[in-house]
Amino acid sequence: MESNEADISLLVVILDTNPSQKIIRKNAHAMTQCIDAVVAFGNTHLMQKSQNKLAVIACHHSVTEFLYPTAGKLEVRQVDGQYEIFTLVEKTVKHRLAELINSAPRIVQPCESLLAGSISMALAYIARVNRNKSVGMRLSSRILIVTGSNECASQYMTYMNVFFTAQKQGVTIDVCALDKSLSLLQQGTDITGGQYLKLPQLDGVLQYLLWVFLPDHQTRDKLVLPPASKVDYRAACFCHRELIDIGYVCSVCLSIFCKITPICGTCQTVFKNSAPIREKKKRTIK
Amino acid sequence: MADDPDHDGIDDPKEYRWETGYERTWESIKEDEDGMIDAAIAELIQKAKRKRQHDKTAQNRLGMMRHVFLIVDCTENMNTSDLKPSRLFCTVKLLEMFIQEFFDQNPISQMGIIALKGKRAEKLTELTGTSKKHIQVVQELTKLNPSGEPSLQNGLDMALKALKVLPTHASREILVIMGSLTTCDPVDINATVESLKTEGIRTSIISLSAEIRICRYITSETNGNFGAVLDDSHFKDQLMAHIDPPQAAQTQENSLIKMGFPHPRAEEGKGPILSMCMCHIDNKDDPSKLSSAGFHCPQCLSKYCELPVECLSCGLTLVSAPHLARSYHHLFPVKQFREVLFNGQSDKCYACQKVFTAEADKHVYFCEMCEQFYCCDCDLFVHDTMHTCVGCNTLPGVQKRIALKVSGGQGGFGI
Repeated sequence: MESNEADISLLVVILDTNPSQKIIRKNAHAMTQCIDAVVAFGNTHLMQKSQNKLAVIACHHSVTEFLYPTAGKLEVRQVDGQYEIFTLVEKTVKHRLAELINSAPRIVQPCESLLAGSISMALAYIARVNRNKSVGMRLSSRILIVTGSNECASQYMTYMNVFFTAQKQGVTIDVCALDKSLSLLQQGTDITGGQYLKLPQLDGVLQYLLWVFLPDHQTRDKLVLPPASKVDYRAACFCHRELIDIGYVCSVCLSIFCKITPICGTCQTVFKNSAPIREKKKRTIK
Repeated sequence: MADDPDHDGIDDPKEYRWETGYERTWESIKEDEDGMIDAAIAELIQKAKRKRQHDKTAQNRLGMMRHVFLIVDCTENMNTSDLKPSRLFCTVKLLEMFIQEFFDQNPISQMGIIALKGKRAEKLTELTGTSKKHIQVVQELTKLNPSGEPSLQNGLDMALKALKVLPTHASREILVIMGSLTTCDPVDINATVESLKTEGIRTSIISLSAEIRICRYITSETNGNFGAVLDDSHFKDQLMAHIDPPQAAQTQENSLIKMGFPHPRAEEGKGPILSMCMCHIDNKDDPSKLSSAGFHCPQCLSKYCELPVECLSCGLTLVSAPHLARSYHHLFPVKQFREVLFNGQSDKCYACQKVFTAEADKHVYFCEMCEQFYCCDCDLFVHDTMHTCVGCNTLPGVQKRIALKVSGGQGGFGI
C-alpha cells in the first residue's frame, strides 16, 4: 500500500463500559482485558503512521464521554523508550475511565447501552476533524464498536439515522461483538461497508481486533476476512411485529402493515379503498 | 430570501430582493474593543449557515412518496455567463448535487428529467428511483450546444402526460429550471396550467434570469414555489429547498401501498442460486452478470442489484426497511435548538468536543430536550445531516421523556 503524507486515518473506538453487560457481570476482569486490548489496538493504529489519529469514546450506562483525546492535557511522565503518545493514550484512557466509573451513579437494574447515541457523537467529532483539517489533507475515518451488550429495538431510528449519515460521510463502521450477535449493528456494517465480527471467545480479543479491524479499507480487499453473512433487511409489521415479505405501507406516515386495514393505526388516516376487496362470495352465501 | 413567495401571490407587498439586498452591508460589521472584526465576521458566517434552517417545522402530513419531473432549459439563454462558467454548467453542477441529495433524503421517491431543446421537449430519463442514471444524463448535458428557444408548454405537457397516470397517493411535482425569459408555445399555455391544477401537480419554477409573470402565475396556481436566482449560492439554496418533501396536498389521496421487502434467499444446505439481475438485462454496455448476490422480489422472484426499485415484471415496489426508516426523519424532525448568547454555560460542545471560546462562538445552541449546548456546526450537522440529537440519544431517560411528549408517534421497525 502506498502511503501518502496527505492521508490521515482517524479511528474512533467506541467502548461499551456499561456494567450491565453479561460478560462483565460474570467476570469483572473481562473489562480490564477489553480496555487493555482497545488501548493496545489504538496504539497499533497510531504506530502505523505518524499522521494517524485516534479517539476513544466510552459508552457508559449513564453517560457517553470521550476518553481520549481530552480537552485538558494530562501530565504524563514518559516511560523510557516508549513513544510518548502511547503512554499518553494509555494513561489518559485509564485515568478518564476511572473518573467516569467513580462519578457514575450506581445502577439499580440492568440498563441498555445507548450505542446509537455514541455513534452520533463519534460522527459529530469526525465531522469536526474533517472541517478543521488543513487544505490538501485527505481524511478517512472509521468507527469501531466494541460491545457485549444486547441491542435494543427502541434505538432503531437513531441507528438508521447514524448509519446513513456514516454512509454519506464515507465513514466505515466496524463492529466487534463480544457476547451476543447484533443484527442491527450488522446492518450498519453492511450499509457502511465495514466488518462485523462476533468473537467466538473473549480470550485473545486483541488478536481478533488486530487481525480483522486494523487494516484500512483498501488493504481489507486483499485479505481473507470472515465473510459477511447475509443481512436480513425485512421490515416488521406494526400490527403483529412479525417479519414480512410483502406488506402494505401507509402513504402518509409510512407505517407498515401485514394486511390491508381501512384506517392507519399510527396516524389515523382513513384510506380510500384502492385495492378491490373481494367480498362478493360472502354476500351470495347470505 | 426576500423573494420567497409561498402563497402571497403576484402582488407581493414585499420589496424585491435586488432592491434591498446589499444595502448597507458594512453596517452589520462592527469592530470590537481592539478594533478587530474577526468576531463580527464569524457571526455573519454563522448567520448565513443557519439561514435555511429556520422554516423547518414538524409536519405530520407530508407527500413523502414523490414523483418529480425535472425540466431543464437547454436553450440559447443557458449560454449566458452570469452564473460561472455558464448558466448551463452551473446548473449541471448543482443538479448533480441536488439529485444525489434528493435520493438520499427521499429514498422512496422517483425522478425523471426532461430537457427543453429548441422549442421541443425531450425526455432524457423516465421516472426511476436511482440516482446513477440521472446524474449520468445530466452530466452529458454539458456536451450540448444550447440553441433556440424553449417551449415551457411542451415540457409541462410531457411531464403532465407521464405524471397523470400515476396513482394519486404520491406527491406529483414538476421542477422547472428556466434560463430563458420567453417561451414559445404551440397553443394557449393557460390550458396546460388549468390541467396541472386539476390534476394537483405542484409546479415550481426557478428562473435564472428574472421574474417572469407566466412562471409566477403557474406556480401560484399549482401551489408551487417560484424563485429567481441572484447568484450561484442563491441558486443552490433555491434548489436545495426542494429536497424536503412538501406538505401533502389536500387533493392527495391516502392509501396503503403494497411493497415487497426482499431478503436473502438461502435454502438450508444449499449454496445460493446463481442468477442474472433484471436491472441490467437490457443494458448492452454493462450486461447482467451471473451471480448469487442480489435482491429477489418476493412476488415473482426476479432479481435486482439494488434497492429501492420497482419490479419490472410484476410492478411491486421493492424497498428495504432502512429505506423507509430513512424517510422517517421528515415526520419527526429534531426540534430546533435555541440560540443563546454564549457566556460560559458549557466549556465545550457536547457533540464534537470543540472547546467554546468567547471570540469564535458568540452564540451557542441549546437543545431543550436534553439540555446540552452545541456549537453552530454541530447544530447544522444534527439538523441537516444526521437528524438525530446527540444528547437526546446518549443520555438515558431523555428518550423516555420525548416519547411521553410525542406519545403514539413512532411505531417500531425491525427487530
